[in-house]
Amino acid sequence: MHIPDNYLSPATCAALGAAVVPFWAVSVKKVKKEITRAKMPLLGIGASFSFLMMMFNVPLPGGTTGHAVGGTLLAILLGPFSACISVSVALLIQALFFGDGGILSFGANCFNMAFVLPFVGYFIYKFIRDRVRSEKGEYLGIVIGSYIGINTAALCAAIEFGIQPLLFRDAAGQALYSPYPLSVAIPAMLIPHLLVAGVVEAAFTAAIFAFIKKVSPGTIYKGAKEKSKAVYGLLAALILLTPLGLLATGTAWGEWGADEIGEVVSNGRALGFIPQGMQNGFSFEAMMPDYSVGGIPEVAGYILSAVAGVAVLLIVFKIVSSLKKNNHGVHE
Amino acid sequence: MPEWLLKDENYQLLPDRDTFIDKSILSLLRILSRIRAQSGYVGGKHGVHALWKVAGTFLLIVLLSLSRNIWFLAAVGAYLLAALSLMPAERILRILKTGLVISFFSFLILLPSFFMGNRYSLVMIPLKTLATVTAVGILSHTTGWHCVTGALKSFFIPDIFIFVLDITIKYIVLLGELSLDLFYSLKLRSVGKNTGKYSSLSGIAGTLFLRSKEMAEDMYSAMECRGFTGSYRVRRRFRFTAADFLYVMVHAAFIAIFVYLG
Repeated sequence: MHIPDNYLSPATCAALGAAVVPFWAVSVKKVKKEITRAKMPLLGIGASFSFLMMMFNVPLPGGTTGHAVGGTLLAILLGPFSACISVSVALLIQALFFGDGGILSFGANCFNMAFVLPFVGYFIYKFIRDRVRSEKGEYLGIVIGSYIGINTAALCAAIEFGIQPLLFRDAAGQALYSPYPLSVAIPAMLIPHLLVAGVVEAAFTAAIFAFIKKVSPGTIYKGAKEKSKAVYGLLAALILLTPLGLLATGTAWGEWGADEIGEVVSNGRALGFIPQGMQNGFSFEAMMPDYSVGGIPEVAGYILSAVAGVAVLLIVFKIVSSLKKNNHGVHE
Repeated sequence: MPEWLLKDENYQLLPDRDTFIDKSILSLLRILSRIRAQSGYVGGKHGVHALWKVAGTFLLIVLLSLSRNIWFLAAVGAYLLAALSLMPAERILRILKTGLVISFFSFLILLPSFFMGNRYSLVMIPLKTLATVTAVGILSHTTGWHCVTGALKSFFIPDIFIFVLDITIKYIVLLGELSLDLFYSLKLRSVGKNTGKYSSLSGIAGTLFLRSKEMAEDMYSAMECRGFTGSYRVRRRFRFTAADFLYVMVHAAFIAIFVYLG
């Protein structure tokens, strides 16, 4: 997920950098208020901890290994604001000294991995934990929070890649930066994260949390009781973002009809040049189900299915938590 | 002599897969050796001040990113090669290796877009990436950590960030050594087939976190006892040397070339 330089235009990098600055400022303020001066070094140590977490190879089926980012874990252990600063510093060191992630794209990387990831992960964790009051609820929150957190960050990165060919082209219509439109970038980024990285992250986060809770329960961050407004706002934003997948139709190269996008032409190993320009030459589009509900405009279809999906999830949680309360009486 | 000591033991080790431990150990070792080597870097007698280096590298990266002209890339490439040629061989190898690996990876990622009819990206982006990574590599292999953090201070970066950055670099080494020891002991204790290894991994990370919390508190007390108040001051013994002048001139020339080539 570390975006190297030259894949995003400087304008995009500047915009995302500017977007991150207020969050840094708020985080610094919050951290100064929340933790005493004596705990200040914890930020640096948290940063080195997150840096080293990325060095830990977790075994995966099939004999390969992957590594977690640990943004949600840090947010749960130290609080989301400390996590934001810690992960930013870890990313800066990776960019400056290890060539991992670009210098210009540092703002973009921070936006995805130091802001979106820990905050989304933390608030989902908190949202679930406050509603399902049990050990299981807490772990459910950790697993779902870290899984959604890393995947949301990957989605943001995919969107940043995907808007490049729409916005930045030279006179001949060639993309100047990342050449892949949203319809390619989103599946390319999300499928591996949904299937592999998200699972690793969730398992790792839950396991470490369990260990720390067993050994030293006092060290876990106790945030103020958050309003669930933040989560609802986030859900609304995500629902509105879903039609982004449609932006790609026909705009980037002008050779796709909206009716073509669902059709998959698996010529991923096409040798040579297709004179007609673009056909969807990516077999992994086959894995992406078409979210359109028949007979209505596609944008509406996307939003509808997103709303329905979120609603179903909320209903399930409400039912689960009401069952819990009935079992143990009301203890609120 | 007890009876059981005289018996022949015949214990067959069952094969066990623990590549992930080895991989973790290797990546940790690579980081640690890299940081150790780095902390020894001091600018030579003809060294350029870190402030110029950080600013110049940043300028080059911005220009590279904006440029669409292959000749500008060629000009920057020539300069970077010249800068590389002044460095010791092992550092040159390291910088080039990083750059080539990353740009080859870029090339692979962009290959499909070439077949989609995009001729520009396949050539330009990997080359730009190579130049950018090399520029950052040259900066980080010729400048000590503390010089870079000092230079950042001159760019009005808030103290808290510099403070955190400083601590982070030091503690990557300390905590890295700690986790290395934990990995070694996990490896040594895994004789034959050890099915409990995976749960130990979270134990290692958890222990690391708890230890780091203790370290943080101890360190702050230690710093406070020595009179640290949280603010950094850069001592300005700033001499503009001939090397600095040359460096600034070269980068000014790049701006001119960039404007000229468009």
